Amino acid sequence: MNDRVELFRGNRIFLACIYWAFVLYVFVPLILMVLMGFKESNFIGFPITSWTLDWYTGIFADAEVVSTFAYSVAIAVLSTLISVIVGIWIAVLLEGRKFWGRTAMFGMTLLPALVPGIISAIAFRIYARFLGIEPGMGAIVWAHAVHNVPFVVLVVMARLSTLPKSQIEAARDLGADPMITFLRITLPYLVPAILGASIFCLLLSFDDFVRSFFLGGYEPTLPVLIFAKLRSGMSPEINAIATVALVLTAVIGVWAERFTRRMNKDS
Amino acid sequence: MTYDAAARKNGQPNAERPSDRTFWGRLAGWGPYHGLMRLATASPRRQFLILAAFPILWVLTQHLGPMLQMMRVSLTDAYPVAPGVEQSFTLDNYARFFGDSIFWMPFFRTLIFAVVFTFCTLILTYPVAYFLARHVSRKNQMLLLLLLLIPFWVGEIVRTYAIMILLGNTGAVNLVLKTLGLIDRPIPFMYTSFSMGVGIVYLTALYMLLPLYSALEKLPKSVNEAAADLGAGAWTRFRRVSLPLTIEGISSGCTLVFLISTGFYATPVLLGGPSTTVFAETIAGFFHVAGDQWPTGAAFATIMFMAALIITTVFQKLMKSLRKGEAT
Repeated sequence: MNDRVELFRGNRIFLACIYWAFVLYVFVPLILMVLMGFKESNFIGFPITSWTLDWYTGIFADAEVVSTFAYSVAIAVLSTLISVIVGIWIAVLLEGRKFWGRTAMFGMTLLPALVPGIISAIAFRIYARFLGIEPGMGAIVWAHAVHNVPFVVLVVMARLSTLPKSQIEAARDLGADPMITFLRITLPYLVPAILGASIFCLLLSFDDFVRSFFLGGYEPTLPVLIFAKLRSGMSPEINAIATVALVLTAVIGVWAERFTRRMNKDS
Repeated sequence: MTYDAAARKNGQPNAERPSDRTFWGRLAGWGPYHGLMRLATASPRRQFLILAAFPILWVLTQHLGPMLQMMRVSLTDAYPVAPGVEQSFTLDNYARFFGDSIFWMPFFRTLIFAVVFTFCTLILTYPVAYFLARHVSRKNQMLLLLLLLIPFWVGEIVRTYAIMILLGNTGAVNLVLKTLGLIDRPIPFMYTSFSMGVGIVYLTALYMLLPLYSALEKLPKSVNEAAADLGAGAWTRFRRVSLPLTIEGISSGCTLVFLISTGFYATPVLLGGPSTTVFAETIAGFFHVAGDQWPTGAAFATIMFMAALIITTVFQKLMKSLRKGEAT
């Protein structure tokens, strides 16, 4: 009995070291980037000798940064709304239903999530012109919405598959039509999945670079603005902008993760 | 006499006034809605068609449409078509790709990079996933996994920038090496395939970690213990037990990471140099200039897509046969 514990302990310590090394690998770059935003110098690099909050006060006073921020949030919210509605609809059609062409339909549903970033951006750019959508907010919202639909479908389908069929049947037996059954039984049951998928879409859209870059007009989204500033040179100002974006996305992401887990447990 | 009293008197205590009904009850009884629903659900076939029409239309026009339109444009000689000019179909855009090494070099470089980076991600995350799934208690698993998820909520550009700061000439790595007295002059990590690799592995690690973790988690602990009781060492246990049983996770993780890493545009631009130009940059070049280059760009994107599709399909088939081979 003790032999076995001994046998696995060596492995365990070795693997634990690898895990914590990996944690360092994913955290250290971000921590350094955040620290650099407090450096009192125009010059990016170590060591940091004096500290300041000027970069932060600077970006909050900068009208361009603030409006870019609002622009990105607006795009994220609008595209998420579309993705969620379309995604639920497709999920309800696909889950637990057998029909001719279902496999093909499922494959096509996942397509936008599997196409490599640059190709997806190019395809959207060409199709936007074909549809007559000018580059700009509408084009970005549309591209993000289409790109995020597969994620909503997957999350909602997973939740739908655990919905007890008896509940639907009971509602139908009591005389509810399919529409009312959906609105009163299925939809409330899906709430955790919808919330989780919405947050995921919001973050995907807010963080997306390649589609926003190729479909954007003159007004940049936040990642595009950071990219443009980076190409003309590093500055702690960029660190401050990136840190605000980082804190926002990380906090929302972690909160959503915990929240949906708890809701899934409750019901 | 009130309605209630009348109802009671008539011996119908349960009779409802219309206003007692819920919103849903009223909706169901509302004439136009009721009629519409009856029309829609008259037969299971009609009900299905009403449910299916929009999703099918959406998937065909929005998911498939952009890819098909891209392929169509790749076969034309000009896009958008100038007024008064007739558009003709041609294979010239594809011929252009093979005609110049400035085009096919980045293409093959991208594929090789993607394969190498995918492999690095696999090597790096497998022990992490293994540790989480096999050596951590159920309660701590979620906590330790969540800890790893935090950085991955942060966007592509921000994380790429973080790597720039880490690896720059005055970056943290060079500072540490200098303080330790290992180097006199900073090592130029940036703008090489190394910095690009660090960045891309950083961006894709999660997409490998999660499939591996869920595959390893499904693996019963007893299998490994049995192997240990039969005298298998750590390496043999890994190679003969864990590895074959998690091939499915490896296969889907590698496919995902490969597809994602072929599609990066900003990361190679920011972290790579002139000697590491990837195909994404070549493709993007055709869209920054005048419109008549679009068909060539579309053709190149199609080539990239087809190549990625063929490679991942062959890879998945290979992994499947490997799994079957192990099973017998």
